[in-house]
Amino acid sequence: MAATGIPFLEGRYSPTLDMWPIEAKEFNRIYEFYENLREGKFTTTKCKKCGRVAYPPRVICPECYSDELEWIELPKKGKVAVAVEKWAGVPICYEPPLIDAWIDLGEDSPVRHVLSRMVNCPPETLKEGDEVQLVVFDVPAHPIELRKETKMAERVFFAFEPVKK
Amino acid sequence: MAGRHACIVGGGMCKWGVREASYIDMVQEAAKECLGDIPGLKPTSIDGLLFASTFVGRRSAQANTAPVVAERLGLKPTSICARVDVLCAGGSTGILLAKGLVESAMSDVVMVVGCEKLYTPERWQVQYDEIAAIDHDWDGPQGIGPPPLWFAMIAKEHMKHYGTKREQLGLVSVINYDYGYDNPKGHFQRKLTMGDVLNATEVAAPLGLYDCCPLTDGSAAVIIASEEKARELSDRPLVYILGGAQASVHSVSANWPGEHLGDWPHLRLAAKKAYENAKISADKVDVAQVHDCFSISEIVEVEELGFCKKGEGGPFVESGQTKIGGTTPTNTDGGLLSCGHPFGATGVRQAIEILRQLQGRAVRQVNKAAIGLTHNLSGSNVEHTIVIYGREPRK
Ligand SMILES: CC(C)(COP(=O)(O)OP(=O)(O)OC[C@H]1O[C@@H](n2cnc3c(N)ncnc32)[C@H](O)[C@@H]1OP(=O)(O)O)[C@@H](O)C(=O)NCCC(=O)NCCS
Ligand SMILES: [Zn+2]
Repeated sequence: MAATGIPFLEGRYSPTLDMWPIEAKEFNRIYEFYENLREGKFTTTKCKKCGRVAYPPRVICPECYSDELEWIELPKKGKVAVAVEKWAGVPICYEPPLIDAWIDLGEDSPVRHVLSRMVNCPPETLKEGDEVQLVVFDVPAHPIELRKETKMAERVFFAFEPVKK
Repeated sequence: MAGRHACIVGGGMCKWGVREASYIDMVQEAAKECLGDIPGLKPTSIDGLLFASTFVGRRSAQANTAPVVAERLGLKPTSICARVDVLCAGGSTGILLAKGLVESAMSDVVMVVGCEKLYTPERWQVQYDEIAAIDHDWDGPQGIGPPPLWFAMIAKEHMKHYGTKREQLGLVSVINYDYGYDNPKGHFQRKLTMGDVLNATEVAAPLGLYDCCPLTDGSAAVIIASEEKARELSDRPLVYILGGAQASVHSVSANWPGEHLGDWPHLRLAAKKAYENAKISADKVDVAQVHDCFSISEIVEVEELGFCKKGEGGPFVESGQTKIGGTTPTNTDGGLLSCGHPFGATGVRQAIEILRQLQGRAVRQVNKAAIGLTHNLSGSNVEHTIVIYGREPRK
């Protein structure tokens, strides 16, 4: 991240202004979510003790506080419940229109709805009931300082896109 | 709980808008207005400070802001000196905490001051920083940091499930701008026609420019004191803090608690708790300041707060019930839509308007107002905060 006006920070990374999560395993205990995403899988954690599925993934079960959790897959397809487009006040990280949908993952999914940005989606086309699917893409890497050297931590994130008819 | 009661004694705010001033300048302006409302109160007689701000630590280089604020205001707190960060509900949270501190006899006189300086030297940060105000790692990258998208979805769902009309949303803005017209401290002083609202730039359909509150710099301050101190400090009628509640049942949008997006059970929960706590019911509220961050928000809130039946927020507004003379005059100083919304300062601004209403000195006075309510939602509609005020102490 270039830091104009602060020359000695030129090229330094500061998480404060990062819009993406820090995904690397050195910095969190749910990094499997991102590794699964890289393989095209949309996952979360389920408690082995009481069976509670929690999204987003956790390191403890929010129901019984057990830390014996397993990873399960969530549906990668859903239907649009509501879709909206934003034209003004769109943050610099997106091009207007910013399109978002409240997605119904179906009655059988342990997580009924997710909110997602829509990509590969022309403006004014998305409607209630349209089928959409998970899409995974690369997002900018950031440096991590190790003892001697610095490595770049590659990152991915997800959104949804319309299923082609 | 017998014993001590907490009162709101006075308050004031600086001019809100796009200000050529830093956060610490605005805090001083607001504190001066606040103490100007309570002649005789010296800064050194204030024993507690709660500073409500979410973005001061991010849009300036200052962390741990409370001591800085205390020093610049000439305060020497001995009971509490802390910052409160609950985004849009920071100010109301400060007031609820001050109530607890005063009633427990830990504090006697507490200043609650809220402030945000949202405009930074480069404008991009105003919208971009909002990504940090919601559940950053999950909802942040999905685009609802700046919330108009999320509230546009709420509006569509409310229209679908309850038949709410576009014009009913627009009317909320027309009414609240009309109230704000004579509030010189607010961001805007202008009247709107329905045509202005319907023909405005589209932000996220169905919401246009005037369905959204603006981004505003501003600060507001109030004094919360024990009943005994309040009597010493002011000859005006006493205004008691009767009770309140703050409900938080989820953070990531995927864990939305309602049947659909127009259904806000977490606000119902907060309202039930607050009415029980204050020992009143919704029909006893004479005047309300609700969180009209968007026109649709006010419509859902008057329903969930129990001012009308669920689904009837649109007709409630249309039939004039939020105007002076209606059953529950709402946002009588202009609300967020006309005053603007410097997050941490908003709840404090609402408290000042309720104080004036209950003391009979508001600009748009509600006849014989005896019970007032303030409400805030915060983040991506994940938390609801209510404070209830009255002319008589809680029974
Ligand atoms: C709606 C919004 C995106 C418009 O922003 P924008 O298009 O960047 O507008 P600008 O800052 O460029 O302002 C352009 C003009 O419109 C006016 N304006 C901006 N937002 C306005 C609003 N919400 N209502 C009325 N007027 C507004 C400005 O005063 C300015 O007027 P001027 O030309 O006379 O000076 C922005 O106001 C916004 O994001 N509002 C929502 C804030 C929010 O979500 N808060 C949290 C709620 S919980
Ligand atoms: Zn469990």
